[in-house]
Amino acid sequence: MTDPSNAVADRPVPHPARLRSLGWLARRVGGGVFVLWMVATIIFFALRLIPGDPVDAILGGPGSQASAEAVAQIRLDYGLDQPLIVQYVVAMSKLVVADFGTSYALKVDVASYVLAQLWSTLVLTIASLVVAWVLALGVTFMTSGRGRGARGVGSALELLAAAVPHFWLASLLIILLSNMLNWLPPISVPGPLGLVLPVLTLALPLAGFLGQLMRESLANAYEQPFVLSARARGEGEWGVRLRHVLRHAALPGISLSGWAFGSLLSGAVVVETIFARPGLGRTLLSAVTIRDIPVVTAVALLSALTFLVVTVATDIIDRLVDPRVANQ
Amino acid sequence: MNAPRILLLPLTLLASAALLTGCTTATEPAAEPVTGGTLVYATGDAEPDCLDPHVGGNYPQALISTQYIESLVSKNADGEIIPWLATEWTPSDDGLTWDFTLRDDVTFTDGTPFDAEAVKTNIEHLKDPATASSTGYLAVGKIQTIEAVEPNLVRFGLSAPDSALLESLSQPWVGIQSPTALERDQAVNCESPVGTGPFVVTEWVKQQSIALERNDNYNSAPADAEHTASARLDAIEWRFIPDAATRFAALQSGDVDVIDNPQPNNIASAESDPAIAELDAPRPGASNRIELNSGKAPFDDERVREAFIRAVDVSPGIDTLFFGSAERSYSVLSSVELDGVALPNTFTVDPDAAKALLDDAGWDTTDADGYRTKDGVRLTLDFPVSTNQSIPAEQSLFEQIQSSAKDVGFEVKLNPTDLSSWYGALFTNEYNLVSAPYTKVGPDVLRTLYHSDSIIPAPSGYYANLAQLSDPTLDQLLTTASETSDVAERAALYKEAQSIIIEGFYVLPLYDQQNHYLYSTSVEGFRALPTVSAPTFYDAWLND
Repeated sequence: MTDPSNAVADRPVPHPARLRSLGWLARRVGGGVFVLWMVATIIFFALRLIPGDPVDAILGGPGSQASAEAVAQIRLDYGLDQPLIVQYVVAMSKLVVADFGTSYALKVDVASYVLAQLWSTLVLTIASLVVAWVLALGVTFMTSGRGRGARGVGSALELLAAAVPHFWLASLLIILLSNMLNWLPPISVPGPLGLVLPVLTLALPLAGFLGQLMRESLANAYEQPFVLSARARGEGEWGVRLRHVLRHAALPGISLSGWAFGSLLSGAVVVETIFARPGLGRTLLSAVTIRDIPVVTAVALLSALTFLVVTVATDIIDRLVDPRVANQ
Repeated sequence: MNAPRILLLPLTLLASAALLTGCTTATEPAAEPVTGGTLVYATGDAEPDCLDPHVGGNYPQALISTQYIESLVSKNADGEIIPWLATEWTPSDDGLTWDFTLRDDVTFTDGTPFDAEAVKTNIEHLKDPATASSTGYLAVGKIQTIEAVEPNLVRFGLSAPDSALLESLSQPWVGIQSPTALERDQAVNCESPVGTGPFVVTEWVKQQSIALERNDNYNSAPADAEHTASARLDAIEWRFIPDAATRFAALQSGDVDVIDNPQPNNIASAESDPAIAELDAPRPGASNRIELNSGKAPFDDERVREAFIRAVDVSPGIDTLFFGSAERSYSVLSSVELDGVALPNTFTVDPDAAKALLDDAGWDTTDADGYRTKDGVRLTLDFPVSTNQSIPAEQSLFEQIQSSAKDVGFEVKLNPTDLSSWYGALFTNEYNLVSAPYTKVGPDVLRTLYHSDSIIPAPSGYYANLAQLSDPTLDQLLTTASETSDVAERAALYKEAQSIIIEGFYVLPLYDQQNHYLYSTSVEGFRALPTVSAPTFYDAWLND
């Protein structure tokens, strides 16, 4: 990721505008911290409002018939005997120093456990985003600015891809590519081969969505005067497409990539479960089921943080691709 | 996420059909067992939080711990207790003192010798609140004193006679671990528990797999094993594959050798696949059943309970939804329990009789939607369903029950929830119907589930007597049975207890707790340990 301050400094902008950019960044960071605090607070109270007792999670899941001594011991050990507001203040002050505590169920340090899972999910998410972009650009470029037939086929493919739910697509890919053709393993295996099906599952619907979005702005771009003037200067068809139209058409896609990243994170819950891949999604799913509060808090905060970072990054990239954005 | 999965059913069937056309004939089984190879086991049960089955104590822990931790006694296929780490045992005449003679030639895989002190340490570990044991804690509940009389003789002093002691000790949750290993931090012991079993835990990659390697010095096979000395497999890779369709696809593609928790339609299609074999090993203890909450209206009236049982037709639903993989049960106990009593005649379906019973009980008016009412109140039943515990086929069965109950005038409100909220509904008594699995070895599970003591919530809020059955006669029968060592007398008492439970219309049995394994025919010698039907790979080998 480009260092934001450098990225801004690289551009020959006048002094006041640069100050404005720094102020903009500070506001974004401040807003981000506030959002994280709200997320942590909501999770803290929401997980305690739903019926049941966190002690269940610690004692091997709800329904455990633990002794009174064991329950008392656990309450003391985990500070659950304290009033709720005290627990809240303790939890929040620990979050400031990134101390997420010990998992109720797994009895391991939450921060290091969740960080280990984050890596697996990031690989999946980033690979899916890249593949989705490649597919979307490929299809739109092949089919736009051409005849109505090609455009129709492209739109139909995009609509279909965007409408397919992850769980269904995953099963379809398993049946087709694993069971019938025997090309790929249906379960996650170490190495790039095990990544193919999960990435395709996440990338195809996103590619459809991105494609739909870009097709519209592509069509728009072809009508613009700068295309006409580029052609008038004698630039070839591919030159026009790559140098002028692409830059214009990519903008909404880039703006949307922050959102897309968030949608990939939620898609990871399904994909990681179906393909038996470790990751944040599966961690979150099982932690919510058994009410492992420290793990749920850590995963949610990490997802929110990732989402915020990506949103800011896409805003910065937007400004680089089209400096006019900063002045709006 | 469970609900849409049912949509996959036709897809999976299609895929299975497509695969069948390409099937080759299975190779002839090798005459002689082969040594070596890594077997891949894929489980669909939850990933254990801790590999030490003393901590907590649930079925996912039982599934894997049987590979590396052994118990004092086991059970054979006929349901009889057989020697394992203990060679013999003698109770005193008053049933309050039990002497266990232990094997003197067994060593834990960390080199610590197995002896009476080790057993003492283990029981104390189970009873220690810091261990946070629930299942194992209950199993050793009556053991008050533990004395290492000699290195190979341990003596238990009980607070009351316990006819279920041997059955309790046979469970994996009471397995014996190295005292040296238990001294470590609990988090460490959870990652790498040390037992005397045929395999050793070497690595646990969370959400992915657990690596198990052969214990070359193994010599403590249970009395019903097929061979002695060390296991035939070099290693086992224990994979976690939560999605049932993926698990089955992985078995078909040969990426894994054995799977558990297959969907009923997968079991059906495996039947016609010569490369896949099935092992049906129902869990012991209670059957899968719907409890009728007699602790509050409307089921505090026996006539309304009987009306519900007469109203709902369960069997056709089981036949269609489970593709013949599950058999209707008419007993509160699992079919593998020797003392289980099936009373099919109590469960005859008769909608007219049901309507008459409801009239008699005062639910004699009907509202605009066709539901029975009494004093302006609709005959409504809350039925919270845990989507973590009920597979889609079972949830569909509940929907069929809902629909046949409606014909008689019951409004069944099905409420699918996650596990935590489900327990929340039970704790706050917001249910009239509930289906809760329970696994324990032996008929003493009846005491856990139907003694009035079990209506008092445990400190965690849980109580096992979800039917809220409170009957002094039944309490007396269950207590006497748990203290009676005479086998025939004990069986008679449990039989009487079951009659009270079934004939009082407190329970609607459905089927055994489903525990099927599907495996590649290249796997030989695989069986389920009769104690709680967890898999054991000690005798197994790969013939390709």
